[in-house]
Amino acid sequence: MGAGPTLKRIDPNLMALAYAIHSQMLQAADQIARAIGQDNVSYDTDVLEHHGHSDWSTSNSPVRAAAVVYPRTTADVSAIARICNALSVPMVPFGAGSSVEGNFSQPHSGICIDFSHMDQIIAFHPDDMDVVVQPGVNWVDLNRHIAHAGLFAPLDPSPTATIGGMVSTNCSGTNAMRYGTMKDWVLNLTVVLADGTVIKTRRRPRKTSAGYNLTSLFVGAEGTLGIVTEATLKLAPIPQDTSVAVVAFGSIRDAAAAASELIRSGIQLAALELMDDVQMRILNEHGSEAVRRRKWEEKPTLFVKFSGTTDGIKSDAARVGEIIRGSAQLHFAKSKQEEQDLWAARKEALFTMVNIRPRGTEIWSTDVAVPVSRLAEIIDLSKRECGQLGIFASVIGHVGDGNFHVAMMYDPRDEEQKRAVARCVHNMMSRALEMEGTVSGEHAIGIGKKDCLVDELGQDTIGLMRTVKRAVDPKWVMNPGKVFDR
Amino acid sequence: MSQLAAKGLGARRLATATPASAVAARRPTTTTATTASTSTTCLVALASRSAARRYLSTDEKTPKAASPTAANRDRGPSFKGQLMESITARMKRESATRERIAQLRQQSAASRNFSITFMLFFVGSVSWYLGTKFPRDPSPASTLPLSETRPPKHSTGKAELEAAWADFAEIVGPDHVSTLAADLDAHANSDWSSHQGDPTDPASRPFCVVYPASTAEVSAIMKVCHTRRLPVVGYSGGTSLEGHFAPTRGGICVDFGRMNKVLALHKDDLDVVVQPAVRWEELNEDLALEGLFFPPDPGPGAMIGGMIGTGCSGTNAYRYGTMREWVLSLTVVLADGTVIKTRQRPRKSSAGYDLTKLFIGSEGTLGLVTEATLKLTVKPAASSVAVASFASIRAAANCVARVVGDGVPVAAVEILDDDQMRFINQAGGTSRQWREAATLFFKFSGTAQGVKEQIAIVKDIAKRAGGESFDFARGEQEMAELWSARKEALWSTMAVKKEGDHVWTGDVAVPMSRLSDIIEETKRDFKQTGLVTSLVGHVGDGNFHIIVLYNDEERKLAEDCVHRMVKRAVEMEGTVTGEHGVGLVKRDYLPHELGETTVDAMRKIKMAFDPLCLLNCDKVIRVQKPKKGEVAEW
Repeated sequence: MGAGPTLKRIDPNLMALAYAIHSQMLQAADQIARAIGQDNVSYDTDVLEHHGHSDWSTSNSPVRAAAVVYPRTTADVSAIARICNALSVPMVPFGAGSSVEGNFSQPHSGICIDFSHMDQIIAFHPDDMDVVVQPGVNWVDLNRHIAHAGLFAPLDPSPTATIGGMVSTNCSGTNAMRYGTMKDWVLNLTVVLADGTVIKTRRRPRKTSAGYNLTSLFVGAEGTLGIVTEATLKLAPIPQDTSVAVVAFGSIRDAAAAASELIRSGIQLAALELMDDVQMRILNEHGSEAVRRRKWEEKPTLFVKFSGTTDGIKSDAARVGEIIRGSAQLHFAKSKQEEQDLWAARKEALFTMVNIRPRGTEIWSTDVAVPVSRLAEIIDLSKRECGQLGIFASVIGHVGDGNFHVAMMYDPRDEEQKRAVARCVHNMMSRALEMEGTVSGEHAIGIGKKDCLVDELGQDTIGLMRTVKRAVDPKWVMNPGKVFDR
Repeated sequence: MSQLAAKGLGARRLATATPASAVAARRPTTTTATTASTSTTCLVALASRSAARRYLSTDEKTPKAASPTAANRDRGPSFKGQLMESITARMKRESATRERIAQLRQQSAASRNFSITFMLFFVGSVSWYLGTKFPRDPSPASTLPLSETRPPKHSTGKAELEAAWADFAEIVGPDHVSTLAADLDAHANSDWSSHQGDPTDPASRPFCVVYPASTAEVSAIMKVCHTRRLPVVGYSGGTSLEGHFAPTRGGICVDFGRMNKVLALHKDDLDVVVQPAVRWEELNEDLALEGLFFPPDPGPGAMIGGMIGTGCSGTNAYRYGTMREWVLSLTVVLADGTVIKTRQRPRKSSAGYDLTKLFIGSEGTLGLVTEATLKLTVKPAASSVAVASFASIRAAANCVARVVGDGVPVAAVEILDDDQMRFINQAGGTSRQWREAATLFFKFSGTAQGVKEQIAIVKDIAKRAGGESFDFARGEQEMAELWSARKEALWSTMAVKKEGDHVWTGDVAVPMSRLSDIIEETKRDFKQTGLVTSLVGHVGDGNFHIIVLYNDEERKLAEDCVHRMVKRAVEMEGTVTGEHGVGLVKRDYLPHELGETTVDAMRKIKMAFDPLCLLNCDKVIRVQKPKKGEVAEW
């Protein structure tokens, strides 16, 4: 390699790197069929459609994959990668399809790799508190399967999500405040690289400082660096006891301010969630029976979850009460049943919202995260701006780690409305960046937020990411068009 | 740029390939021309010879008819004269022909030279053009095996280094570039490092030590090194153990000593922005005033820069995780002087690749960290310490497994073996006498109520696991007293050191269920050698250290023992280093732990970040094929 600056962007036109044409992609699919079995390749248009479009996502692309393939082993995936890399056919891994930024759409067509047949729990080591799983395992199933040993994987994204996608978007959820994000729970990964090389990032020690941290590099890379075919996850003991409390505030700013005070108090809360007045109204009107058992105050509300030993929870709850006392009244669950009902309200929020949306409207859901001290300010500003649009807009947030989502319903046929929503989202991003935050707390970048990522990190940092990408995927065939452009 | 260079190389290769083909293409014409000229010469020669023969044959007949004298007189010149005449004529003709041919040859040589030059130039430029138009495909491989590496080329000649010194002096001021022998030695290796290089080798010492004061200066220094191809090693606290900062190819050392400031404390956001030479102990003293705390606790004297470099941890790792979990963002100077910031300050993010974690633990081989934003946590309201002793390591390990499995949120759990406890008693650095048995040290933190509850639970577990004693601190002072034994561990083993002894701190980690197996086997192995050893472990996360004292003769013995321990850890699905890093000493273990292909992928990333291998060259992964016998047998 040359002696010149290593990280300058190269004019893509100079690179002899065009993707295969459709007929070559079919040829690749044919070769794959011979390698992994005819039954494991599908050309069905409905199947292709299902793997190329998502109602949840705001960034769908009109192009579909040439074929969907269903590998069963790491060796199958390696064979697929070898064929695709040789013929310059893009590869797009597909887990449950629950991502929201177009992370699995196929703007350059190619082969879609569906992991639904790789859904086995390979080994469970309760003594070491870890579990080895394939990417197609659903996290809810996993937790059910290992509950008998008193352990669980403390991540809670969308209930349909599978491990492969969770690793690739570095997901999190309400538990992130206490337990951190996906990154903190992956011990090692088996990854198939672009040319079919299989690597295992490390073995199973809980901690290590041996060599580069490739595990964390692949977590959150959205399948652009390699395809995860096996993961060893750390597990946590199921807490002895839990409890839930809700507290309503006069304004969203008061609620957010109370949240940041709780975070700074150092109390080990299990989760701290915020729902705005709009969400609470929906609960009263459209919530499930369990949720409607209680008459919710239609005001911005904090949901606080405690976990630990029974005594510990008692003392934590007392301290939370002290902190909040001045501003609002804390309501504790009095029974296990009530605890479940209260928390169900938070869990149902997104689904209820999707179910009640008027025909023909779409939901634009987005997420940002900022340093905790700026949280109240940004939620307040974003909420006010969305409110002015005259459409349905609502704020829901994992405020425990400075992360929140805004969901807006708009009519995709109304160009002006669509533009107004896009502008509103854009303003929210720039506000988050001004506050030294990030444009994506947990949904990752996909297609939807590529431009925002440039704004967040700058060309030099993206340039370095590009260098990493080009090193392990020289033909740029792994999930192209995502995270950043070539 | 590298791609461009590669392309240029491709084109150049094409160009070097063409002369041969140009000559080949040219050859037919040249050969025909030569054959043509040779045949002319032959024809001329033949013609003149036959003419002469014809003349002679007619001559042969005539003398028979007349007498020689008469004939001589009547028919002009005599036979002899005729012969001479014809010879002279022939020679004249021949020399004329030769001259003509020589002239001809002269002419074609010039034109040939000209046309070859022209052809070369033409084919060269055409292939260069085609090279830019249709560049070679980049290698489609995702990894870089050692066999395909080319040795890095650095220029560490005297003149080059002196010129670089002038550049550095201009950037940081002459006072901040040192070439003093004492400084160079201090930055070459340390007594406590398990790497023992050859001190006579000039490549194992830096040429100079540069002390920058800002990110901009570091960037300028890297630019100089990049243009001049000088290897660079970053240095902060110098407490690392596996030869992380020992130069292998001369070059310079960048000491961050002057970059030791806390730049901004955001107490509402629970984060702090620091420079690399801030000491973690001093940082925590400052933070304590605000009720905050930064959990990673490696060896005393360590600085943030080095802690990031090795991905360090310590006793707090069980509860709080390692350095990797406590860095929000990094400002890094890359090999060519580019400055990047990995991200801003949100607590959580899924935006783009996690470059932050890639730099943490890369031991300065991917970039030089010049600024870090660290996560902080709130100082626990109450804390306490308990000490429990057991009949065997296994009983102690069982107790730990129970505590961890039940999810009791203890802040730290450490093990010290019977030898270690004996050394502590012998050294007398603590105010009490300890039972010389395998001992667990627990640290608790949380609310006062929570701590009390935790102590009760752990006491109960310890009793059921066969604990022989259980003491817990009832006050601030007792807490310090109980914890002092853990703190004094390394120093009390050092106190047993004899003249000429060195110390080796081994470090491996295994999945928790294998911890007692590996500790027992390792202790047995060391006992057989008769070396003085003691054992300290962060058992909560399956990590332990063996402290070995050895003198020069015993070096091989100690090396072999440590080697067997590392091998054992790998066989138990563990790691060759839990928290000390790889450096020079453990790089050949990596392929065994991670697999060839994984190390090849790391090498590919290293070469992508630093194609000239300027940054801490040879550490973590090899970039050059080893010489025969350099790599010890597995």
